[in-house]
Amino acid sequence: MLQHFDPNKDYGTPASLSEKQVTLEIDGVEISVPEGTSVMRAAALADINIPKLCATDNLEAFGSCRLCAVQIEGRRGTPASCTTPAEQGMKVSTQNEKLAKLRRNIMELYISDHPLDCLTCPTNGDCELQDMAGAVGLREVRYGFDGANHLDAPKDTSNPYFTFDASKCIVCSRCVRACEEVQGTFALTIDGRGFDSKVAAGQNESFLDSECVSCGACVQACPTATLSENSLIQMGQPEHSISTTCAYCGVGCSFKAEMKGDQLVRMVPDKAGDANHGHSCVKGRFAFGYATHKDRIRTPMIRDAIDQPWKEVSWEEAIGFAANRLKSIQYEYGRESIGGITSSRCTNEETYLVQKLIRAAFGNNNTDTCARVCHSPTGYGLKQTLGESAGTQTFDSVMKSDCVLVIGANPTDAHPVFGSLMRRRLRQGASLIVADPREIDILKTPHLGDSVHLPLRPGTNVALINALAHVVITEGLEDTDFIAKRCEPEAYAKWRAFIAESRNAPEAVEDVTGVPAESVRQAARTFANAPNASIYYGLGVTEHSQGSTMVMGIANLALATGNIGREGVGVNPLRGQNNVQGSCDMGSFPHELPGYQHVADPMVRSRFEKVWGVTLDDEPGLRIPNMFDAAIAGHFRGLYVQGEDIAQSDPNTQHVEAALRALDCLIVQDIFLNETAKFAHVLLPGSTFLEKNGTFTNAERRINRVRKVMPPLSGKEDWEVTVDLANALGYPMNYSHPSEIMDEIALLTPTFTGVNYEKLDKHGSLQWPCNNEFPIGSPIMHVESFPTLEGKGHFAVTEFVPTSERASRRFPLLLTTGRILSQYNVGAQTRRTENQVWHHEDKLEIHPHDAEERGINEGDWLGISSRAGQTVLRAHISKRMQPGVVYTTFHHPGSGANVITTDNSDWATNCPEYKVTAVQVEKVSQPSEWQKDFAANHQRQQKLLSEAGASSGE
Amino acid sequence: MHNEQERIISMINQIAENNISAGDESAVATIVAGHVKKFWPRRMKNMLKDYIEQGGPALHPAALQAGKQLFEESKA
Repeated sequence: MLQHFDPNKDYGTPASLSEKQVTLEIDGVEISVPEGTSVMRAAALADINIPKLCATDNLEAFGSCRLCAVQIEGRRGTPASCTTPAEQGMKVSTQNEKLAKLRRNIMELYISDHPLDCLTCPTNGDCELQDMAGAVGLREVRYGFDGANHLDAPKDTSNPYFTFDASKCIVCSRCVRACEEVQGTFALTIDGRGFDSKVAAGQNESFLDSECVSCGACVQACPTATLSENSLIQMGQPEHSISTTCAYCGVGCSFKAEMKGDQLVRMVPDKAGDANHGHSCVKGRFAFGYATHKDRIRTPMIRDAIDQPWKEVSWEEAIGFAANRLKSIQYEYGRESIGGITSSRCTNEETYLVQKLIRAAFGNNNTDTCARVCHSPTGYGLKQTLGESAGTQTFDSVMKSDCVLVIGANPTDAHPVFGSLMRRRLRQGASLIVADPREIDILKTPHLGDSVHLPLRPGTNVALINALAHVVITEGLEDTDFIAKRCEPEAYAKWRAFIAESRNAPEAVEDVTGVPAESVRQAARTFANAPNASIYYGLGVTEHSQGSTMVMGIANLALATGNIGREGVGVNPLRGQNNVQGSCDMGSFPHELPGYQHVADPMVRSRFEKVWGVTLDDEPGLRIPNMFDAAIAGHFRGLYVQGEDIAQSDPNTQHVEAALRALDCLIVQDIFLNETAKFAHVLLPGSTFLEKNGTFTNAERRINRVRKVMPPLSGKEDWEVTVDLANALGYPMNYSHPSEIMDEIALLTPTFTGVNYEKLDKHGSLQWPCNNEFPIGSPIMHVESFPTLEGKGHFAVTEFVPTSERASRRFPLLLTTGRILSQYNVGAQTRRTENQVWHHEDKLEIHPHDAEERGINEGDWLGISSRAGQTVLRAHISKRMQPGVVYTTFHHPGSGANVITTDNSDWATNCPEYKVTAVQVEKVSQPSEWQKDFAANHQRQQKLLSEAGASSGE
Repeated sequence: MHNEQERIISMINQIAENNISAGDESAVATIVAGHVKKFWPRRMKNMLKDYIEQGGPALHPAALQAGKQLFEESKA
């Protein structure tokens, strides 16, 4: 891999970014380094490795262990090389008799209070303390081991993933500093002084009870066995490792899967990863146990009807059964009577193949993806304004931002590794503006700058963004040069006239948004006056009936303030799932071929037709909600779903279930018997990200390699199954490796023409567009021009049209839904891991005022009713909500959160309005009718599964 | 719960309402027609056509005009 550093080497202190070089001599070797580089790092760059314990290159130098002492010509004493900056002309000695003696004395003190159980220690073979004892030549401990010591210090085993063995702690503070500097949680501290000093979690609590978010940064930083992964303790040291990409959120962290044969010992965040730079969260770092869970579907299964037991069959029989059913449905009901759903959890190559199967083998454009229910408004809104359906920046760009506006996103929970990076920038002094109905955790970040919370009412985003833009325009804060040079003038003039209308003023919309006008004005001024201001948004923007309008409103604000086209600025959609960006890029939407090329364009179609060898339909196909309606109406009768759980994740569950029951053939390809599979006729075992090759594209358009580290449990990678199905349908597909699929993608997708596996392996990752114009990709987009017809950015008029879903006497509260750190999406993966310890049920968060009015206490069972349905959850009383707003998550299927969400959707894309549902809440004593039916159906389907001789379920 | 026709009516009316600032009714209708043409499947377009032939009583005026515009275009 092309790297400017060796990711496997620890250089002791972070790199300096200075452009000025200084030259010094270390042990007679001359070396030039950027000004600000420590002597320790300078030496390491020359492969002179000074002993160290408290230093590591992802943490600022601390200078506590003294092991790295050196001598510098003309200076007194023995300064610590980690805290001493390299200077021009400096002459450094790292090895001489005096230093050797000093280091041996230090190590002797450490070892006099350390258990000498190296042979049975979990980190035997990978221990820096052991290495340093060797490096300094420690031969004796003159103090003996009988004095006061910490050898009996208790172990903390409260965290399910790692153990804290205080007896092995050398109090180097690396864990404490990692928690502060890397993660930004400040859960650890050094308690006490001198001999009594020890690492403490929270207020001297157990790790589990403290604020610790189990990101693993402390475990990674620990130079001894004090903090060790439980899997390492159980299995021993790994013998090889393979770099791959996490399959959880849209950050797309790079990990080293550390293996013993085909067994995964641990996932270690990869320092070479361009998205995460060696950091991780509890999901990617630890929650991989689902891959080998007993619930995994290992064998293909079929059944004639959904009330029949499953029958285990061979791959050939299952694929043949599925193909025959699809063919006979099309024969009877027509070409458009079947379709498929691609997955944002699968690879680009798999997603590409599924939409190709639908367009080429099914012969229609009835393909859609779960991005329909999360970021489809991003695709629409950014294409309309900036010309491309993608975020404009890298994650690292936030480090140059002076003002960060977070709207409808909760980065510390949903995109934790990026959340940590954002926190780091906020601690450096960038201003923070948060527009969210809830007081989210990022607001708690200690920082030097100011922070503004705009606690708007659910459903009023567009009114708020218009008010912010109104202030920018009417107070003369717009970037006139940028607008004149980079934006289409007619659209700008039209938008300017609209936004300047007094009805968009903060004072005029105060009653609508609930946000004090002065706070809006202050936020707008802070944003517009910052040299670099950036916007980060999530599903709190898109999942509304005006989601697309809001995305365009965000782009307008960025254009009006000139915050596009360089580092530190931009429009940044935080994608929910690992490959949402990729699944959209790969042509999953019914109106667009890969690369967002419209199906009605004859030039585009002809290029695809030539390579695919078929005639393509020139009309868009059905979107997911249209598929459901058409299924209930009886026109749509067959569906192939790869790696999605529409029965749990899509809104208005009862409507979805009715649609799925109406199908003649539902083919589900998944790693578990998910909620959708309970309605299926064909169940094809899926493969996890550990079992296949391919690529994921993260929220910064970064294409990362996914590498197979163990064989697929069922014998096939997901892309192979799609190939088999195509061939059985009579449409030939011949690929021997996903790299060949990527080559075809590159051939047909103008923004991917320069992408291939060889280049990905060489560079580690590539950000599209990657083509002749940008041969090694495009970290920042729209630097010179926009990919629109005339190369200009387009302002869009963003009329605020309130949702029809409003609080009423019958449903007086507004429900908004969201996510939590420890669980992921429908929870199919994380519920099958120890992450359950943090969130084993979804609860309804309710403000104390609303709770008191209804006589609700913490933990009470609450019936939540909307016009769509009713469900029952336990109460959690919380001031994070405003009065009148309630909140829940949807990670557990039995919670039925989507039984209550309605089929209201975004006007442009039909993205469901998950974030606004009018509800009533009351105390109840039993589960809802839907929940009783759900439980009964769950039991019935598990029985039918167990009768097939397959693995039993939860 | 929507049946297909109710869904189509609500979708196209919503498109019209959200583009109401585009100008007069005809300007709004042009945007609505463009949107339907670009994003709707054949089946929904046909259902819209049938509904408009029945007078399209529940359609927003701009949506009705858009539908008519669209089907005039397809005849041409």
